[in-house]
Amino acid sequence: MYWKRPMAAVSVLALTALAACGGGDDDGETSTGGPSDSETSFIEGGGSGQGQNADAPVPVPEIEGAVAGGDIDVVSISGLTTMHPSEAYYVNTASILSNLVVRSLTQYIYDAEAKQMVLVPDLATDLGTPNDDFTEWTFTLRDGIKYEDGSPVTAEDMKFGILASFDRDTFPDGAAYSNDYFLNGDKYKGPYSDPQGDCDCVTVSGNDITIKMAAPFPDMPYWGAFPAISPIPEAKAKDPNAYARHPLATGPYKFGDYKPGDTLELVRNDQWDQSTDAARHAYPDSYNMDSNTPSATIDQTILADQGDAQTMMTYDNVLAPDLAKAKQSGNLVTGGVPCTAFWYPDLRKPEWKDINVRKALGLSYSYADSWLAAGEIIGVTRIPGTTIQPPGIPSRPEEYDVLGNGGERPDTEQAKQLLTDADALGTEVSFYYVTSDPLSVDAKNANVKTLTEAGFEPKPVAVADSTAAAEMRADPNAPLNLRSGGWCSDWPSGASWMPPLFGPTGGANYSYFDEKAVNTQIKEIQTAPIDEQADLWAALDEEIMTKYYPVVNLGYYGAAMLHGSAIQGFLNDDVFGMPTWKDIHVQE
Amino acid sequence: MALTPLEAERSDRAPLASPDAPAAKNIAGRSPMKIAFDRLRSDKVAVVSTAIVLFFILVAIFAPLIVKIFGVELRARPGSEALNIFTGYGLIGPPEHSFTWEAPLGLQPNTGNDLLAEWVYGARTSLEVATIATVTTTIVGIVVGLIAGFARGWLDRIISFILDLFLSFPFLLGALTLAPIIVNRYATSEGALDKAQFFSLIFVLTFFGWMGLARLVRGEVLSLREREFVQAARVIGVPTRAILFRELLPNLVAPIVVSISLGLPAFVTAEAGLAYLGIGLTSRPSWGQTINRAIGYFEAYWLYLWAPVIGVMLLVLALNLLGDSVRDAFDPKTRR
Repeated sequence: MYWKRPMAAVSVLALTALAACGGGDDDGETSTGGPSDSETSFIEGGGSGQGQNADAPVPVPEIEGAVAGGDIDVVSISGLTTMHPSEAYYVNTASILSNLVVRSLTQYIYDAEAKQMVLVPDLATDLGTPNDDFTEWTFTLRDGIKYEDGSPVTAEDMKFGILASFDRDTFPDGAAYSNDYFLNGDKYKGPYSDPQGDCDCVTVSGNDITIKMAAPFPDMPYWGAFPAISPIPEAKAKDPNAYARHPLATGPYKFGDYKPGDTLELVRNDQWDQSTDAARHAYPDSYNMDSNTPSATIDQTILADQGDAQTMMTYDNVLAPDLAKAKQSGNLVTGGVPCTAFWYPDLRKPEWKDINVRKALGLSYSYADSWLAAGEIIGVTRIPGTTIQPPGIPSRPEEYDVLGNGGERPDTEQAKQLLTDADALGTEVSFYYVTSDPLSVDAKNANVKTLTEAGFEPKPVAVADSTAAAEMRADPNAPLNLRSGGWCSDWPSGASWMPPLFGPTGGANYSYFDEKAVNTQIKEIQTAPIDEQADLWAALDEEIMTKYYPVVNLGYYGAAMLHGSAIQGFLNDDVFGMPTWKDIHVQE
Repeated sequence: MALTPLEAERSDRAPLASPDAPAAKNIAGRSPMKIAFDRLRSDKVAVVSTAIVLFFILVAIFAPLIVKIFGVELRARPGSEALNIFTGYGLIGPPEHSFTWEAPLGLQPNTGNDLLAEWVYGARTSLEVATIATVTTTIVGIVVGLIAGFARGWLDRIISFILDLFLSFPFLLGALTLAPIIVNRYATSEGALDKAQFFSLIFVLTFFGWMGLARLVRGEVLSLREREFVQAARVIGVPTRAILFRELLPNLVAPIVVSISLGLPAFVTAEAGLAYLGIGLTSRPSWGQTINRAIGYFEAYWLYLWAPVIGVMLLVLALNLLGDSVRDAFDPKTRR
């Protein structure tokens, strides 16, 4: 999944993204945690939704002491770009839509006891019934669900919503799991691009929806939690652009005033019936989202905690200079985000053919120097790591350390030795940086220093802004041999890590990694029995790094979000690294 | 040769200035320049401003030496060694520790660069850019203004049209557009990028900065060229180039000096402003860049922000006051 917005791709690209650890709740720890505490608490607190509970009580029990009412201001710098349910694939748009506005087949709930997110049914009555080999899933819709205009939600609408999730031409930014897994996903173009066609993969009978897969898809219930798998009334969504400005709400809030990329007002949807919902509480009367507020202003306003700021919150990470004050305020929420930042050497280029040169590259990243330079808070928004999958993913392997540096120490002497042995001293390393972002320039300087020390010849490529950087990274023929970026999981499973990062058609395979053995292994694991998959993904994680070392792990992300003192129930949803919207309420 | 207007003014005014002066004493001829400098010397504001400007010039020229004297270095240690990695602040100096001579202004959060070194080299960048830009705009402005003013007819009209065209061009928009083009063109070579950014900055500042002086000079020339001494020169067949540069130019010294002294501070501000926007120089220290980085720290680490802000403020204020004094000194109509 993409991190917050295209421009957050900025952050990710420029490595200024915020990331964190420390499984703290909003207990406002005041101590400056050492690296070791953060590391431990991160692993302990890191369950990002591996739980599933098909029998969650409906309606969800009330939170003790929580009362309805209050208006919450949500401020952020990351503009909400794509609010069409079929296209929302940034963590902020997807999280806001699916938690507050649009109901999908399934959804997540925060389990306070286990301190983790749990997958529970939403519009479906359970988490779906697969056939033996997970190539056919059947979901039964609840009765009595209505859109905000009072019209009933039908299974046909659900089918249309699923068909719309195929439409890559109309929704280029959307997630492509329907295309990847559903029957005819490679051929069917979607209802807008191909109005006459049909994927012949969704059949409706009464309230039952059956989806046929092209390949076994045991993770279907997780894909079912995306806003893309939500009902869309075909007659009212003829124009996808108009629908994107006002998607019909099935959840507790509907769109009020909405200026795309700028402000969004969410008001109560009186057609939503709490007695059908297994997770949403919807205590506040309204949310006012302003997504063009500078980060420094956000921190200052919320920390001042005066007047309306007491009911203000953000899902952006706190800036490093404000961290100490934020911790003291007791209104800082920290937690894990299932994202890993990588350096991707372009394996098509001859200079990276030797694994020892790639390992030397890993030893020459300046780790703490570039994290500090990029404004990361080490141990809070950036946690050193060595495995591909971040903590909290059930298929994460036991700690292994290919480079022996703990994922945090450059060792330019050893790197030089490796390069000398491989006769590769003076290997050029060309990577981009953003000249208009001083933090990106500083991070570049830090890496140029260590790379030079190790005997590489750094050739930084300047780009003017983050959009140009994103384009350059996506361009396979760009004059680069090293790309950087982050990957966040779509659901807590190795299936949302290994295939996109290392598979032949992987959307985030910026290393252009292509090993036959790994490709067949990925295929095999996808068809393996579901309860064995986690271990197999874990083994593959370690095998890829040990045997091929195709990416350099630049650390995991973490969240550190601020809220006003009157806001309660704000925790970190570590499936997304976003607030637990469903539980938020305003104190009397 | 005919009396230049300034000299004429002086001879008119001399009896007024010292009506009771004893005769036959100090009747030395004084050039307009000398009068102006005498006036400047007795102007306290001018003297203080000059001292401040001189201070900055010395800092800029001797930047490496100053840095050495203080024992600091621009990029001494990597961030992870110089900083507290949990807070991002320096292990020595403010804001977490007390003042130390090892880092008088402290270390830059995030990178651990010494802020005194950044400041000193920032002064250098500032003055370098401002001086070169002033020189180029002055040359372009004078030449265009002289030609436009002296050439009657179609040439004057064309030049005037170009002048108006340039004046209507939005400066910031031009700079914003040019920056990414330059970055793309020189993306792969850091050294070339640095040079390209430097010269493109000078170019942008010159491109949008010469019109004021050109107009001023054109106006002056328009009135001067009808004066007797120019007419006389034309009659006796002095070549046009000589008329322009030997007859007219000396009479334009006053407006030119004033324009230079007011142009310098404008360019210092422009350089800092563009660096702040991220479209100026990125590969060498600059006050604007430091201010851009320091904004988030205005509460937690005020010295980080205030050092470059005070630098820009002091330099611009001193240059402006000096400019005012220079204008007063060169203006024959002022009386003291």
